[in-house]
Amino acid sequence: MQTRENTTKAQRVLSIAVVFILFAARGATARDVKIVANPEVKVDSISTSELKSVFLAERQSLRDGSHAEPVFQQGGPAHQAFLREYLGKSDGALQDYYGGLVFTGKASMPKSFRSDAEVVAYVARTRGAIGYVSPAASAEGVRILVVISEGGKSERMLITRVSPEYPETLRRLKIGGTVRLAVTISAQGRVEDVQLLGGNPILGESAVTAVRQWVYALGRSQTVVQVSVPFDPEH
Amino acid sequence: MKQRIVLVALVCFCTTGATLAQEFRIFDRRVQVHGFGSQGFVYTNDNNWLTMNTSQGSGAMTDMGLNMSSQITDKFRVGAQVYDRNLGQLEQYHPSLDWAVADYRFRPWLGLRGGKVKTILGLYNDTQDLDFLHTFALLPQSVYSTDLRESTIAHEGGDLYGDVALKRRLGTLSYTAYAGQRRDSQYGGYPYLLQVHGIALTSYGGLQYGGDLRWATPLNGLLVGASRLNEEITGRGTLTLGGTTGPYEEHSNTDWMNEFYGEYTAGKLKLSCEWRRYWRDQAIASGLFRAQTDVRGAYVSASYRVAKRFQFGSYYSRYTINEPLITFPGVFPSHGHIYDTAITGRFDVNRYVNFKIEQHFMAGYGVPGQYPSGFYAAQNQAGLEPDTRALVLKTSFRF
Repeated sequence: MQTRENTTKAQRVLSIAVVFILFAARGATARDVKIVANPEVKVDSISTSELKSVFLAERQSLRDGSHAEPVFQQGGPAHQAFLREYLGKSDGALQDYYGGLVFTGKASMPKSFRSDAEVVAYVARTRGAIGYVSPAASAEGVRILVVISEGGKSERMLITRVSPEYPETLRRLKIGGTVRLAVTISAQGRVEDVQLLGGNPILGESAVTAVRQWVYALGRSQTVVQVSVPFDPEH
Repeated sequence: MKQRIVLVALVCFCTTGATLAQEFRIFDRRVQVHGFGSQGFVYTNDNNWLTMNTSQGSGAMTDMGLNMSSQITDKFRVGAQVYDRNLGQLEQYHPSLDWAVADYRFRPWLGLRGGKVKTILGLYNDTQDLDFLHTFALLPQSVYSTDLRESTIAHEGGDLYGDVALKRRLGTLSYTAYAGQRRDSQYGGYPYLLQVHGIALTSYGGLQYGGDLRWATPLNGLLVGASRLNEEITGRGTLTLGGTTGPYEEHSNTDWMNEFYGEYTAGKLKLSCEWRRYWRDQAIASGLFRAQTDVRGAYVSASYRVAKRFQFGSYYSRYTINEPLITFPGVFPSHGHIYDTAITGRFDVNRYVNFKIEQHFMAGYGVPGQYPSGFYAAQNQAGLEPDTRALVLKTSFRF
């Protein structure tokens, strides 16, 4: 009797622990924050290291040479998720980091706002501004950037690859090229979302259909990777 | 009076928690204004420390800074900061231009800044005045001697700098190469020490150049690096001996500093260590005498944030000095050391104000008559005890 009670108690504790771990693991995924940019920013995606460099004032331009200005939030879930996910710093450490730069003449204090709406409004009217907001926030007047995880390829091994169909008309006309896609992969390896970043739109449509069927190895969390799909009319 | 002003400012910050940082526009350009200040109190059991009468308890430890900066174009930024401090008999509220820079960043891997520039040397040389950044009330004095702040804090010249992201996720290399003029004030530790010998310096400085290379390693939070500084210093003034006053000059034959460091941050834990060697071969009194100074400093420190507003820290700091005064009749080679163990508690009232309490256990006192190391003969005329216990209370604010 005593043994059964102990077993039940242990199972209950274990269940609570599992629920807690699942909840905690969900805590700070990329889903908790959305990267927004001024419409004049020409890129559609930004790598995690580039994003970190911009927000730590290590660079004032993006890879295409266009100006980039980081815009922070002063607190809240999106702010916490952004710091944890992309900068790897606590709010206090971030304040100290910028304090060290500002008081030694190496950078200016970046703009920060109290709410998603204020961030979106500032980003919309300021050339080169890049900010972050919660996923539910309105993105009117701003461009949403896809964040590309640089470790994606090595961390998320492709298990099942479905080849895209080459549209017959394009093949006959010898129209080819490379299509660039941003692929969102769940922790379980399923492709959850595919966005066309560049390339021929008809080839892109075919590539998106194929990539949606791809399966990746299990990962620690949701990942966004950039995928290039070549279309060669000679093969 | 000025201490009262700082205290009043602190009270204002504590009670309002206000962010007084200002931003306004000039010629359609945003101009930011930021400031900081700190007030300390030091009590020692015996020896007087850092030119204060600490054996009686002293609050002559105040500093403050105010800066303005503006981003002129996407890549071009200008700014300047005024700094003022009082540390016992040093500085005594003679404000100075701390830095004034024009900074142009061509690429992430190439930037150029010129003007009066804070010198990158080791982990914290350029941020040593910014009390709010550090767990400790006093940084390890073996490497960051606060009475010798002037000697390395800034140069009038230029820096080439940049960050290079290494391929294959090998981290980031940051470099700085600099050259310029060092210009000490007459109120620093070295001119103060020379006064005991009847020397009144009117100028002290010269060419300073060097570099720093640091690697943010692939292991998240681990930074390692090395710095080098060379200088050619000339000091001029007057020497009074036996009631006769004549001109005085000293200059470097050789003068350099090497530093190696590492820092590891993981969550609430921060570990740091540094090693510095300073070597100086100085021609004294227009070449009549020659002094060779070999100073070695090292420390290991750890701090941990136990709660949102509270952190603990401790360090062990080791300072040794060997200064033989060659061809100086009647003076023999001196050896000295200071081994300092410090324990600190820091409480953050809010983002802008903090309080610190720190206990030092020091063994040794360097060579007080020959080179500044915190303990001066002028404040310890009855001689020095071998050990010193020091309690430091400090509060600081920023906006």
